Amino acid sequence: MKGLIERIVVPLDAASENRAAIDAAARLAHRWGAELHGVFVEDNDLLHLARLPFARQVSIGAGVERLTAEEVERQLRVFAARARIEVEAAARRHDVPWSFEISPAAAADAALTRSERDFLVAGTATRPIGRHFRVETRWWQVIERSAVSYLLVHREWATTGTVVTLVTDRGADAERVLDAAAQCAEAVAGILTVACPAALAESAGFEQWLADRLAAYSVTVQIELAPEEGAALLERFAALRCQLLVLGADAVAAQPQWLRQAAARAAHGLLIVR
Amino acid sequence: MADPTFEFAKPLPAELLYRRTDPKDLPFDLCSELPDAPVEIGQERAAEAVRFAMRMRAKGYNVYALGDAGTGRHELVAKLLHDQAGTEKAPSDWCYVNNFDDPQKPRCLSLPPGRGTGFAAAMKGVVEELRASLPTAFERDEFRARREVIDQQFKQRNEEAFGAVQQRAEAQNIVLLRTPTGLAMAPKQDGKVMEPEVFEALPEDQRKAIEHEIESIQGELATVMRQVPQWEREHRDAARELIRDTTGFVVGHLIEEVRARYADHSGVPEYLDAVERNIKENAEDFLPQQQHQASAPQPDGAQPPPGMAAAIEDARFRRYQVNVIVDNGGATGAPVVFEDNPNHQTLVGRAEHLARFGALVTDFNLLAPGALHRANGGYLVIEATKLLTGNYGWPSLKRALTAGEIRIESLEQMFSVATTVSLEPQPIPLKVKVVLLGPPQLYYLLSGQDEEFPELFKIAADFNDRVERSAEMTLLYARMIAGLVRREKLRCFDHGAVALIIERTARLAADADRLTTQKRAIIDLLHEADQLAADAGKEIVGAAEVQAAIEAQFRRGDRIYRRLQEEIARGTIRVETSGTEVGQVNGLAVMSLGSVGFGNPSRITAQVRLGRGEVIDIEREVALGGPLHSKGVLILSGFLGGRFGASRPLSLHASLVFEQNYGGVDGDSASGAELFALLSALAEAPIKQRFAVTGSVDQHGRIQAIGGANEKIEGFFDVCRLTGFSGEQGVIIPASNVKHLMLRHDVVEAAAAGKFAIYPIDTVDQGLELLTGIPAGEAGPDGNYPPGTLNHRIAARLDAFAEASAALMRQALAAATQPGPGS
Repeated sequence: MKGLIERIVVPLDAASENRAAIDAAARLAHRWGAELHGVFVEDNDLLHLARLPFARQVSIGAGVERLTAEEVERQLRVFAARARIEVEAAARRHDVPWSFEISPAAAADAALTRSERDFLVAGTATRPIGRHFRVETRWWQVIERSAVSYLLVHREWATTGTVVTLVTDRGADAERVLDAAAQCAEAVAGILTVACPAALAESAGFEQWLADRLAAYSVTVQIELAPEEGAALLERFAALRCQLLVLGADAVAAQPQWLRQAAARAAHGLLIVR
Repeated sequence: MADPTFEFAKPLPAELLYRRTDPKDLPFDLCSELPDAPVEIGQERAAEAVRFAMRMRAKGYNVYALGDAGTGRHELVAKLLHDQAGTEKAPSDWCYVNNFDDPQKPRCLSLPPGRGTGFAAAMKGVVEELRASLPTAFERDEFRARREVIDQQFKQRNEEAFGAVQQRAEAQNIVLLRTPTGLAMAPKQDGKVMEPEVFEALPEDQRKAIEHEIESIQGELATVMRQVPQWEREHRDAARELIRDTTGFVVGHLIEEVRARYADHSGVPEYLDAVERNIKENAEDFLPQQQHQASAPQPDGAQPPPGMAAAIEDARFRRYQVNVIVDNGGATGAPVVFEDNPNHQTLVGRAEHLARFGALVTDFNLLAPGALHRANGGYLVIEATKLLTGNYGWPSLKRALTAGEIRIESLEQMFSVATTVSLEPQPIPLKVKVVLLGPPQLYYLLSGQDEEFPELFKIAADFNDRVERSAEMTLLYARMIAGLVRREKLRCFDHGAVALIIERTARLAADADRLTTQKRAIIDLLHEADQLAADAGKEIVGAAEVQAAIEAQFRRGDRIYRRLQEEIARGTIRVETSGTEVGQVNGLAVMSLGSVGFGNPSRITAQVRLGRGEVIDIEREVALGGPLHSKGVLILSGFLGGRFGASRPLSLHASLVFEQNYGGVDGDSASGAELFALLSALAEAPIKQRFAVTGSVDQHGRIQAIGGANEKIEGFFDVCRLTGFSGEQGVIIPASNVKHLMLRHDVVEAAAAGKFAIYPIDTVDQGLELLTGIPAGEAGPDGNYPPGTLNHRIAARLDAFAEASAALMRQALAAATQPGPGS
């Protein structure tokens, strides 16, 4: 994807654990020679709630307390400022150009994808309450509407484990997916597991086709026969100590729930290539 | 009592000017033939005192070895202590360990000599083994499974509680929102939070129902939230209990091995129990950093910087280390420690500090021993002067000796001015014999001024500064010189050189019949003579090299002396060596400049006139004279009164002065010369300037011994050589100083050749006759002196003063009683 991507865009808000997403985005920006762009998206739901007469919030430290629009806005400003600092720090750490903007929720789609040369990196974990309880992230709705490739991140980037991709044919889309997966594998531990249906794996010239596609990358390739059933496939990914799962957009478009499960099974995250 | 071999007021024979040690009397040719002398040569009394103190076990029997520097105190004390220490057992090792109940107060442990390091190594081994085996234990499936169950239980309880609230909310079409600092609930419409305007448009009963429902769910959520800290605490406790159980088996086994080896030593079993408890309570510290953090994540996932991580890791295990501050492993006896820089810290030890992230930190591992720790169970030798000038060394030493324990504390703690929390290590019992080496004056000062000193230093080892120059002692000195030559790895000295060195030690003692114990001066002379022999390419050092070294020593420091001599020769400083003068005599003073002392001639003059019987010391009037000099001048008044004042009033005024003296004068060694000048002035009898005079006088006119006789004679001799020997010049000295004469060879040779003479006198009259050539005269039964004698002339002059005074008095009285006009 090097050369194809000009901007790595990270949606940020006050509810998410932004740091892992920002760091992953900065790494990719460095690898692909792209710009890191942070977009702090205001939470309309929260602003609406704060304007309701009975708006309260409950926290571990303070119990039940009144929630006002002013307080919410003030806190959002603080979180936006913090997000900006984190974007800047990650950009400096990985030596990439960066930019940052605060976007109203209504304009979020436009702010997040301005061209097909954008790439989205979103954190899927919200900040927990009581160590474990997390509300669902807002970004699912954003990325499901997205027209560009995206990476869903829910843990810190690690340099161990394997990158797994699912290839179902030898088409152009599959080539793009393989290209993205190989680049990611180079950045992780150099191991790329290509999962594919038995029919494809056993088809004539498949291995050569695969070798030709991956010749430009210094990765060790493993071919894995993929179970056809979705749950079994997820089990298999976990057994492979999957760090990052790379999939084509078509493969998951019709199965949003499976996508969410797959993202949770990969230790680091899920890369969807359009 | 004067030596019978000389006559008063007659030139001394040359053999009395310098007592030789004949090399032929020495039973060797080369000093290498001689064995070493006993180290306590001449210092038997001091050695006995030190030996007695070493035998005494009662408190306070410490030693003050008083004597001048260079007298061999250090060497003798060292030998005596080492001899004794070699017969005693090596004392215990001492360790400081962590006090797990109060880390600010480290505990001390005593172990048999040499076992401290073994114990420290064993504890280090325990920690290393735990660092390897505990993570392995925590990696085992059994542990991981149990841990996962605990974590899962917590997670499940958490999720169930929140999930139930969320489900109820969703069932009521209420959405749960994550606010920046908590959770909030809002009515939902079309999958989004209902806008306020929409809500306001709802019928009132519907609005109230929504509000009521949300309030109710918020209450449930608040209840769950309140329980979270308690759940977390229970989770931590459960996890810790699991770790403690897992740790217990591993650590118990390892500690038991150490316990088996060190259980017999007081305090060790209790310490090991505390270690075991602490490791169980802090087992997570033994997990690798990553694993540890996984079980206890940092806030916001923050990682400490690499340097800090290493420091934290180091700090985790420092508390199990053993700080061996005294290791007597390999010691063959009791320690003998010489502390060259005695101050508070070097004596009682200190708590050192490490700079950690901008702060200075310390712990028991940074406790460093002092000299008292190293000498504990043995002997400690300290230079007293350094101790008293060192930074609070003396109070700290006294405190330790009085308390019988060594307490490591800072000066701030000692003086109770510390405002920061610092270590208070458990004191270590002290059993040490301290030997202070110092000058006698300091001993007397401490004895008189410091109440604790006599209690703590009951033994005084008094070192001689000189010994009798007997034949036996001469041979012992020859052996001592031979031993020093060997010890200093010098060329061999022949018997002539050794004899000359012994003669030199007599000169240094300023006594022909005594030898100095200033070993340092002897060693310096040996080295310098050896160098001269090396310069001359000789393998054996002879008398010529020793003599050259002696002369070179003086020459190196004689710039001022030569300058004074030069100015006398040029007439700038007036000193006559020929002719006669009334009321003027050559006196002699000694100047000491650094290592060189020399005699300096100076004119002493007297003037007399009619007066009220005062003798004025001009030096004293202008504060250039010291008290002893003033005392000498006052004695002159006593002498005059005693001899001439019985039958007449002393109606004179006399003034005395050291001419061209600008630097002050003290001592009474010039009182004889001053009396001669005064009597010459009274008698109007000229004094022969070819003589110089030294010696003090008493009120009866007896001449008394003075110091520096050799230097004074040599000083006048050098002046005469510069102005030219007349064959009649000489120095008049007290007869009681004859035994002190060890004059330079050129002076002795000049005396033998009749060019220069030394005249011993015992009375003022003997000196007067020599100086004036006029008989002094003895008083007859009527108290009058024979005409033509000096004393007669003096009496006549005093009579004239008395008559003149009486006449003046009568005139004044007549003037006072004559009737005035109109009476």
